[in-house]
Amino acid sequence: MRDIRKFDARPKLDGSWKFLDDITYEGMIYGQLLYSTCHHGIIKKIQFPKDFELNEFTIVSAKDIVGKNLVPEPEPDQPFMAEDKVSHFGQIILGIAHPSKRTLISFIKQIQIDYQELPAITDIEECLENEDNVFGREIIIDHRREIELESNWIHSHEIYYTPHQEHAYMEPQGIISIWNPADRKMFVKATCQCPYFVKHAVEAIMGKAINEAVIETSEGIGGAFGGKEDFPNVLAGITSLLAYKSGKPVKIMLDRADDFKITTNRHPSRIELHTYTDPATKKIMKLNVDYRLDAGAYQTLSPVVLSRGVLHASGGYNIPDVYIRGRLFRSNTPSNGAFRGFGVPQALAAIEAHADKIASQLNMDPYDFRKTNIFKVGNEFPSTQKITENHLEECLDRVVQKSDYRKKLQEFKEWNVAHKDKKGIGISMGYHGGGYTGNGEKILNSKIKIIIEKDAKVKIFVSSTDMGQGAHTTLAQMFFEAIKHPREKCWVQLPNTSKTPDSGPTVASRTIYIIGTMLQKFALKIKDEMGFTNLEEYVASHQSDFPREFQIKFTPDPTVSFDDNNFRGTAYKDYSWAACVSEIYYHADTYQIELKKIWNVLDIGHPVNLKIAEGQVEGGNIQAMGYALTEFFYKKDFGRMQGFTDYSIPLSLDIPEIDIEFIHTDSDVAKGLGEIPMDYPAPAIRNAFHNAAGIFINEYPLTPERIFKQISSPKNHRI
Amino acid sequence: MKITLKINNQVYTTHIDADESLLDTLRKLGFKSVKKGCDTGTCGVCTVLKNGKPVLSCQILAARAEGHDITTVEGLGEKADEIVDAIVSEGADQCGYCGPSLVVTTYAMKQELKDPTIEKINQYLSGNLCRCSGYEGQLRGIKKYMGVK
Ligand code: FES
Ligand code: FES
Repeated sequence: MRDIRKFDARPKLDGSWKFLDDITYEGMIYGQLLYSTCHHGIIKKIQFPKDFELNEFTIVSAKDIVGKNLVPEPEPDQPFMAEDKVSHFGQIILGIAHPSKRTLISFIKQIQIDYQELPAITDIEECLENEDNVFGREIIIDHRREIELESNWIHSHEIYYTPHQEHAYMEPQGIISIWNPADRKMFVKATCQCPYFVKHAVEAIMGKAINEAVIETSEGIGGAFGGKEDFPNVLAGITSLLAYKSGKPVKIMLDRADDFKITTNRHPSRIELHTYTDPATKKIMKLNVDYRLDAGAYQTLSPVVLSRGVLHASGGYNIPDVYIRGRLFRSNTPSNGAFRGFGVPQALAAIEAHADKIASQLNMDPYDFRKTNIFKVGNEFPSTQKITENHLEECLDRVVQKSDYRKKLQEFKEWNVAHKDKKGIGISMGYHGGGYTGNGEKILNSKIKIIIEKDAKVKIFVSSTDMGQGAHTTLAQMFFEAIKHPREKCWVQLPNTSKTPDSGPTVASRTIYIIGTMLQKFALKIKDEMGFTNLEEYVASHQSDFPREFQIKFTPDPTVSFDDNNFRGTAYKDYSWAACVSEIYYHADTYQIELKKIWNVLDIGHPVNLKIAEGQVEGGNIQAMGYALTEFFYKKDFGRMQGFTDYSIPLSLDIPEIDIEFIHTDSDVAKGLGEIPMDYPAPAIRNAFHNAAGIFINEYPLTPERIFKQISSPKNHRI
Repeated sequence: MKITLKINNQVYTTHIDADESLLDTLRKLGFKSVKKGCDTGTCGVCTVLKNGKPVLSCQILAARAEGHDITTVEGLGEKADEIVDAIVSEGADQCGYCGPSLVVTTYAMKQELKDPTIEKINQYLSGNLCRCSGYEGQLRGIKKYMGVK
């Protein structure tokens, strides 16, 4: 656990680090997307403006696609471009390119499209309340145990709603494609998380027109958070088609408004819970969850978000009888996609808030209620996977202790009697399974290449990208620390699919946990096999053996198995655990919640680089604060989204004090970290508001408008 | 139209469109540290200094920058080192897209705020959005640099 400075820190701050839009190629022209402003309809006519030379523009539509008009991964149901019908606002109809950006923009502004409008679902409620909108495979986790309901058991029934969330990475999406007719290769420069997904997409749309697509990421990837997992596949496909047709390098950079309007977002959810609690033992005996996600117009990766969501939906509670049903709902809005947390923030927003509801029905403190119901070694998840450590409870105890929770409860209670404004404190806890769900890692079968040069320089080739989370620094660190090799002799190379093997996508908190662990084990293995104590000396005395190339493959743990059909077995080999306490100040005059402080206690195993790890927790917490308090929009207003004035992410003015503690840091395993700090804070903030004002709000975010409505007409509150 | 701009103490003569933003001109001239995050004055990553004061270059016409001193992070050179060190030592740099604009804003703040407080610093930096770091590490580093406890 050392703080190694990120290798790219300085060039990023002095401006010399190159992001996608900082790159130009000889003869490059600019592209833009023309997308539907109609939510659902048939395209009747596309009319181009008269006063332009049409032949100066390169225009591609679905008709120009040589291969298939279907984005191949993850669920192949979304077309790259609309054919004669549009299914959502923002669906791409044409790709257009021109040497002058200015001409291109004014041309596109004047293109007229006539639609025959069809009925559309654009409202989250309308989508999620109506079971006719269900599509895709439903997931059931059935852990029912013939338990007779007792008549005195307390029945709690609630419905929670969570909104869309926009990734709001500071660098918008972009792609550059270059077609080389000589070797029939399409070279793509991308700001993306998953170079191999992009490769498969470009090869799918180009079909036999090309021999191969080669994807290389830009040096800088200006934030991603899941947002650059799937949309780059679509964008790269269309940019490549333009490059092919025009014969010129084409760059498409989305402007902020388009990025807000047409790219993926976090899935809105409606989560309905029924619990039955025994008032004598204060234990939850039965839980029924109906977990619904608004997937948007196509499934794309929603089925995997759904599966992770339902696997985390019962929270950290030991409940004998559990039934969870997960379903996707279709709407006429852009497909929702990956976002840090991947279904878990929604799950916890419901179950962790519901826990406080039951506690209040029992007249019990939320911490005591959690202590009574938290799972312990020997209990099992609803998937029947056994709980093998009590680290969640340790996190909970520790965070309660270090935040002075009990003392503050008392103090705030007294303070609140005398004041119109209120202070409050709230708890939440959660976990996040590391890596792909179930058999996913086995199927991914990640590969890494390593070259050790004659000067003992170690080059690491992985398709994992560094989008700011410090992956390339930490991955190199895992290798060189394992064998005490000098830092400056170990580098992760820029991902390029013609050089780097497929080590899987940079998602699912898997990069350090899966890829880093592979590197660490490999370093120790070669040390053992070659029998060196110092790699530099070894290479110096065995010069003829170098440069030497090694291939490493993921070895699945044979004891891990998961039944994808019935959702039974080991869903994740390792879980990260966390608990948090949040303290808020409620301004009664403005109905505003101010987050004062947040305490995190996490078990992520061994934090390889403490500074980077803390940075992940801080960044995740603040995104979660936005999720809890300010961030939302309705897709029906999409046309209006222009910039950050239409969507409020936290500013430096808004941030609370953050306290972070990692426990069990001496563990051998470096577990997942990227997502969990986003998962759990929102319900802790909501619970703190209840503690302050005595009001439960079951719809996120807790905006002043929502609080005002709730206070002025509590009856309208949904349940 | 043809204009003459003074950028980082050097004079550049260039052709621009009448409605071209200073941001676009700077990037065309190769000052790629100046980023585009929204183009509508809402994110701060295009911040440069105009006569020492931070401005959003996407909201200024290039033509109106004639006769003023424009400074980007490239022009701060060594003067930025201490700020960069302060931010880096707190591990506050993540994707880095907001980085150069934060450095120039902090540089201007140091000149401008005579007796800095945490509140004044937070206020001064409130137009510089960052989605990765949650600001925590950035502010820790910058407070140190400003000499605020
Ligand atoms: S690009 Fe100028 S404020 Fe965002
Ligand atoms: S570090 Fe990514 S936006 Fe600030």
